[in-house]
Amino acid sequence: MTFYEDNKELYDSIPAEKFQLVQNNEDIHDAAFRTKPIGFFKDVWLRFIRNKASVIGGIIILIIMVFAAIGPSMNSYTYTEQHTDLANMPPKVPWIAKLNLGIMDGHYTLTKRQYDNIKDTSKYPEGCILKLKNPRIINGVKIVDVVVDYYKYKGLDDSQCYWLGSDYLGRDIWTRLWKGTRISLFIALFSVLCNVIIGVIYGSICGYYGGAVDMVLQRIMEIINAFPRIVVLTLFIMVAGTGMFSLIMAMVIKGWIPIARMIRSQFYRFKGHEYVLASRTMGTNDQKLIFRHILPNSIGPVITQAMMAVPTTIFSESFLAYIGLGLQAPNSSIGVMLSTGQKVLMQYPTQVLYPAIIISLLMICFNLFGDGLRDAFDPTQRGVS
Amino acid sequence: MDNDTILSVQDLAVSFRTYSGKVQAVRGVSFDLKKGETLAIVGESGSGKSVTTKAIMGLLAKNATIESGKILFDDHDLVKYKEKDFCKLRGKDISLVFQDPLSALNPIMKIGKQITETLVLREGLSRREAKKKAIELMEMVGIPDPETRYNEYPFQFSGGMRQRIVIAIALASNARILICDEPTTALDVTIQAKILDQIKQIKRDRQLSVIFITHDLGVVANMADRICIMYAGRIVEVGTADEIFYHPAHPYTWALLSSVPDLETKERLMAIPGTPPNMVAPPEGDAFAERNKYALAIDFEQAPPYFRLSDTHYAATWLLHPKAPKVEMPDVLKARIARMRQKAGLDNE
Amino acid sequence: MVRYILQRILAMILTLLIILTVAFMVVRLMPGSVFDLDPELSDTAIKAMNAKYHFDQPMIKQYGYFMADVLFHNDWGTSIAMRPNVAVWDILKDRIPVTLKLNLISLFAALPFGLFFGIVAAINKNTLVDHLVSLMVVLFISIPSFIYAAGLQYFVGYKWKWLPLIYDPAAHGWAQFRSMILPMLALSFDPIARVARYLRAELIENINSDYMLLAKAKGLTFRQSIMRHALRNSMVPMMNIIIPMFAEVLSGSLVIESIFAVAGMGGLMVDSINSSDHMLTVAILMFYSLISLITILIVDISYGIVDPRVRMGVKG
Repeated sequence: MTFYEDNKELYDSIPAEKFQLVQNNEDIHDAAFRTKPIGFFKDVWLRFIRNKASVIGGIIILIIMVFAAIGPSMNSYTYTEQHTDLANMPPKVPWIAKLNLGIMDGHYTLTKRQYDNIKDTSKYPEGCILKLKNPRIINGVKIVDVVVDYYKYKGLDDSQCYWLGSDYLGRDIWTRLWKGTRISLFIALFSVLCNVIIGVIYGSICGYYGGAVDMVLQRIMEIINAFPRIVVLTLFIMVAGTGMFSLIMAMVIKGWIPIARMIRSQFYRFKGHEYVLASRTMGTNDQKLIFRHILPNSIGPVITQAMMAVPTTIFSESFLAYIGLGLQAPNSSIGVMLSTGQKVLMQYPTQVLYPAIIISLLMICFNLFGDGLRDAFDPTQRGVS
Repeated sequence: MDNDTILSVQDLAVSFRTYSGKVQAVRGVSFDLKKGETLAIVGESGSGKSVTTKAIMGLLAKNATIESGKILFDDHDLVKYKEKDFCKLRGKDISLVFQDPLSALNPIMKIGKQITETLVLREGLSRREAKKKAIELMEMVGIPDPETRYNEYPFQFSGGMRQRIVIAIALASNARILICDEPTTALDVTIQAKILDQIKQIKRDRQLSVIFITHDLGVVANMADRICIMYAGRIVEVGTADEIFYHPAHPYTWALLSSVPDLETKERLMAIPGTPPNMVAPPEGDAFAERNKYALAIDFEQAPPYFRLSDTHYAATWLLHPKAPKVEMPDVLKARIARMRQKAGLDNE
Repeated sequence: MVRYILQRILAMILTLLIILTVAFMVVRLMPGSVFDLDPELSDTAIKAMNAKYHFDQPMIKQYGYFMADVLFHNDWGTSIAMRPNVAVWDILKDRIPVTLKLNLISLFAALPFGLFFGIVAAINKNTLVDHLVSLMVVLFISIPSFIYAAGLQYFVGYKWKWLPLIYDPAAHGWAQFRSMILPMLALSFDPIARVARYLRAELIENINSDYMLLAKAKGLTFRQSIMRHALRNSMVPMMNIIIPMFAEVLSGSLVIESIFAVAGMGGLMVDSINSSDHMLTVAILMFYSLISLITILIVDISYGIVDPRVRMGVKG
């Protein structure tokens, strides 16, 4: 504590003109905001770009979408074109092969070959043998594992290659992968869009009218929701078949419910707010109240929830493909590729690897992106999920 | 630190690291708490009063640092205390009663268990002894039928009853200092008075020293022996209750006193204009200058020292400097104080 | 409370009946199902089918017979493709214990890890440990269980040969458990992450609550206040996510069981769908419905038991 009395000389040396009233006659007002007001969406944007993980997530999603659009036309194969003699080719990308990293070089290990045959050029074309491994004698026959350049082994020239290999029917995996990504994304995005539309309308009706209307609609919703998801999906696809449209429909049956619930609760929250009451006393009609005063408050949560629903839907599509309710041949989707690849996992692991990478990236990035959006729209919800 | 001082805070400065910078919440606060007295700390929200008490209890948030100063208690400097030292001190020597009794109790734990918890864990009482003591405590804070209520949950208690429980918890281990952080703000006015009386009663019975934090001068009036007025992380005026109410010297105290409603005032209430300063970059001179009708040129350049008005009464305002113009408190306030004195005088007769 | 429980049970039974009805309609209306009689069948075969499924009766009667068989005789029809002429129930009754065992062990093995990670992350909020846990949570929640299954099977099972590639129904004891480790791992990543994420959020909220401040102010140590107050209170809502998680793990195990050839309900369902053995599929779906409805019921009831506010019917 510094006391005047303890240091009188110092304080008394302050010149007298400093001791003058300077704002005695002024009115003192609350200070006005000096910063420019920032609009809602700009604010959201500023908060969003600060979250690096979700920005990166968003960028990766965009890159995958671009490849899903142009990937299938980047080489000459089509997604249905079969070459049964060139089935299960290993991946080969010429410039990566030159780097000698041991990946995507078209090499393949043929196991348990008779040693005596390896000189036979009708079985092993010239120059295709790279290495012999594991010589051993079984039942008196000398057996080796042969590492070959599989493309030469199949008698192909250098110009032909399958970047990510080919599947059990000799179809190009690169083309099918991006074609499949396109279809999986389309199913996911389109079904989420349907869910949002149905959910917003249903939830608005519940929330706006309330009372008996709400009671009845709520009971209907509860009954639909009581059906376990997996049961609904299975039964629906058993009846409607395994087309893309029926997959989308199957995702919609239960998918709109969370959105409807959220919209309904938003209505109940904002209906009682003073600004809505004020607007109502001035004779604003229902439509205007809903669209101008209540729904805009729900934009953030709806977008967030929709984004979070995308990975769930991508997952469901793959899941259905695994249990045999996915798209039928020759159509491709990430799930279809995964479940066909699973059957040859031990021999050709890359056939699972690439679709697995894509679906994992999509799931991770959509989750990060959705997290970022949630935090940006509603900073108070940070870290709560 | 003389003999009848039980707690002494000296030049305490506390800051918080936040995204927008370092917030200097407390900037050099000093006060002594005497044995058996009630010291009120008054200030608007954000003036640093709660932070000061949390520093005493070692309950500052993780992003807070004590920049300088000492908190002397029983010849120990609490600033140097580690968490485990505080665990021994809290509740046993110094106790805290919170602002919001509605959320201060664990909603899913029985009331009795919340009172006996430390008795059993720290003081090694048996369950039965602890229960007996808890029921005594509940009786003491005025809870009817404590035997039954012992086994109830917080949601079965009203706000006032919950605050009594919080006080009972604070008193469970015979603490010598009781810090009440706005204990009645969240309660109805009728309950407020009862709780305040209860605190006064207990203080007398147990010879407690009380630090009473509030933003409401009306509450302070019949509680406090001495009053500190805080503004923007500093104490601007200290004095006995009489000195602060009848001879306020700091323009901020004037403003505070004028803003309290009373029955006789016919004029419009005086609000304090402007907003408190931004504590990330507090102003160089007197923090109140911007909002002060009586600000001097020097107020914007140099923070004022304390001017001694009496042995117990100091104020930090340049208006008390010999060279300063003689400014008198606003007429409204003068009239008010006259009325108060008159009333007090009549009451005395 | 009793009335409330009875209400919930009644609602559950009604829902099951509705699902069963829908399932009947699906099988009945679906082209190419057992109910479409092949015109080339012999008279005796048709007679046998009629005796079993009452095709000569109107649809409403067929429905009545179907429901009566299921509800009163536990007769779910016979398998036509998977194991022809074996009663569906006989197929199921060997499979159900395997699935329940796999899924219950997976869930219960996941819990301590999830709780541990959640607590560690919450206590060390915003430190490196917390960020690592968050990263783990994102990876475990995002990447589908069948991707983990494929990875585990390829590397741990095939390349490194640490554990059996597929489930071994013939083995006993430890050997069989060893063959269940990989599917259990694949199934438990998601619940670990979900429990950790939820507990972290709950615990952080509770640690910052006023009653925690009071707990500290009255002299509890950090550890005591966490264990006795914050953690205890965080566990109450945990019940609400852990129990329904069983239904989620169970549906995840549909695929996992078929990948690891576990002789449970999941693999059976995949096979029954692929071989159009519809009566079998319906019975399996009813099993999943029953489990998922029971979990919802338990949540509804347990919520009342754990939280005194709900138990005593008070809001606040």
